[in-house]
Amino acid sequence: MTVKLVPDVNAEKRIDPATRRLVRTGVDTVLNPYDEYAIEAALQLKEKLGEGTTVTVFSMAPESGKETVRKALAMGADDAVMLTDAGLEGSDVWDTAFALAQGLKKHGFDLVICGSLSDDGSTGGVPGAIAEYLGVPGFTNARHLDVADGRLRVQRETDNGYQTVSGPLPALVSVTMAVGEPRYASLKGIMGAKKKTIAVQTPADAGIAQPLGASGAKTELLEFAPPPARSKARVVTAEDGPSGAAAIFEFLKEKKLA
Amino acid sequence: MQSVIVVVEHKKGHTRKVTFELATRARKLADALGGKAHAVVLGAGAAALGEQLKQYPLDLVHVSEDADVDRYLVDPTIDYVDAVAKSAGPSLILTANTMFGRDVAGRLIARLSAGYNADATDVRVEGGQVRVIAPKLGGATMTTSAFKNCDYGVVTVRPNAFAAAPGGAAQVVELAKPAGKTYTMVVEEEVEEASGEIGLEEAAVVISGGRGLGGPEPFTTLLKPLADALGGAVGATRAAADAGWVPYSLQIGQTGKTVSPQLYVAVGISGAIQHKVGMRTAGTIVAINKDPGVPIAEFADLLVVGDLFKIIPELTKMVHDAKAAHV
Ligand SMILES: Cc1cc2nc3c(=O)[nH]c(=O)nc-3n(C[C@H](O)[C@H](O)[C@H](O)COP(=O)(O)OP(=O)(O)OC[C@H]3O[C@@H](n4cnc5c(N)ncnc54)[C@H](O)[C@@H]3O)c2cc1C
Ligand SMILES: Nc1ncnc2c1ncn2[C@@H]1O[C@H](COP(=O)(O)O)[C@@H](O)[C@H]1O
Repeated sequence: MTVKLVPDVNAEKRIDPATRRLVRTGVDTVLNPYDEYAIEAALQLKEKLGEGTTVTVFSMAPESGKETVRKALAMGADDAVMLTDAGLEGSDVWDTAFALAQGLKKHGFDLVICGSLSDDGSTGGVPGAIAEYLGVPGFTNARHLDVADGRLRVQRETDNGYQTVSGPLPALVSVTMAVGEPRYASLKGIMGAKKKTIAVQTPADAGIAQPLGASGAKTELLEFAPPPARSKARVVTAEDGPSGAAAIFEFLKEKKLA
Repeated sequence: MQSVIVVVEHKKGHTRKVTFELATRARKLADALGGKAHAVVLGAGAAALGEQLKQYPLDLVHVSEDADVDRYLVDPTIDYVDAVAKSAGPSLILTANTMFGRDVAGRLIARLSAGYNADATDVRVEGGQVRVIAPKLGGATMTTSAFKNCDYGVVTVRPNAFAAAPGGAAQVVELAKPAGKTYTMVVEEEVEEASGEIGLEEAAVVISGGRGLGGPEPFTTLLKPLADALGGAVGATRAAADAGWVPYSLQIGQTGKTVSPQLYVAVGISGAIQHKVGMRTAGTIVAINKDPGVPIAEFADLLVVGDLFKIIPELTKMVHDAKAAHV
């Protein structure tokens, strides 16, 4: 499954004015929250399919992210591959999807599981683009998945409900938080993870010849600024229902909203 | 990039306001870029919607009622959009920032080697170049981006970003079925859980409930009537969705939907950062909470400290009375 490393989700994030990139130093690096659900989904599937199923963590990240990747191994994944190279720095959605697809192709897979959205990028574009590059069915926003007889059946969230969709393997699926709470790493899992392999793959290993990273990216950040500040609320204490309602109603009239 | 292509989301010919917002904006952008404004409408109901879109200032509305579009997930749609894009030449492709829009965008990035910008609140042309304005890092930063190294740029746009204005005489053209394609992602069943008349993401008013509601009933007995009275939609926090009180499709926030209504009423919601990022760009935020020290006070416009169960019914009544007095 593919896992992105992101700055601590609860930390205040900022962009470095000089590099125009997200500041990733001084902030803890964590597994993208959605991707913990992807790991959970992969482990559930392995439990169901039994021995002979291998769960590999696939992450495009700098070498410094190794210990964070190990957290995914501690949860129960079998091994990991890190697609790492200085030339990948400054990648955008396109670079990332292209590079991951080449890396996954080289490594081989039956099913790729992604998170639905990254906490820092929040584009949700990577999984669909990987599927397209791999030329396999790609099911996004799955809340439930099942594999039987070489077919993947997915219940996926839609804007006003859900749908059931199926297709042949190999395939890709991105999961939502409804697949089940990610398990905690047990002490045994943490100890065991120290012995598991984290292989490093370079773009050359993956057969990538063209420049990626900032020079290959198809988008460029020109400017950034804080949004217009919101001031603190006007606070009204309501003695009872009618006075509370009246305070809101008057406010809405004042703002021409009622 | 010269032309502009709008990929239209609809169900059996019924679409959302955002389609007309994008069609209207496409004209302006296409004029500034010196190209044409296209729309692509696919699947059951496409012909009827195509006729409706004729009233908007587009040049060409490409339609196909091909049943494969609804029978199979996303792939047929991408083949049609790909064909339109290739014939239009370098272009900017716009779609709504919804699950459908993001799915289409993801696929197109690879199909067209395209640049991608998600969740835009504005798209402009400056000096002949496309500029995309989008909140990033959960709304902590407003970014302006450009495309480079690509012939195609894809942007998913937040509903309510632009005004919709009819006017124009687009030509409707029938699309030819892409040849030699087989599809594998079979749609077996479709279930609608929240068949709200107004889509949450494009509603001008959102009445949102959290853990303070204590159960599923108040969403239908308290929030829905107020939303109806104000012409809005009902939303929720993750806490409410996790508790099973409402479907996840109503969840607003980091892992749910992003909304930018004119008015957001947060009822029994604390205002956690993960919720805030999905609604902080609302025009006006009103909170009802029994706790005066609640975090939402930091970014709401009005906080009424009191019991929601007493306040909401009264407020709904006031809105109804005011309406009755006006007719
Ligand atoms: C990775 C991650 C992603 C997340 N994504 C999201 C997301 O997308 N969206 C989201 O919403 N949350 C998300 N969360 C959860 C978020 O952190 C909060 O837990 C959640 O938003 C809290 O929901 P709430 O405000 O309904 O509940 P609470 O925080 O419990 O607040 C309930 C409020 O109701 C008030 N109240 C109770 N009774 C009454 C009454 N009778 N009258 C008036 N007021 C009353 C209380 O004072 C309290 O302020 C996420 C969390 C994580 C870790
Ligand atoms: N650098 C990366 N390495 C591995 N997986 C990634 C990376 N970037 C994105 N992904 C995957 O794509 C999903 C969606 O990310 P995004 O499209 O950036 O919102 C994530 O949840 C990950 O599963």
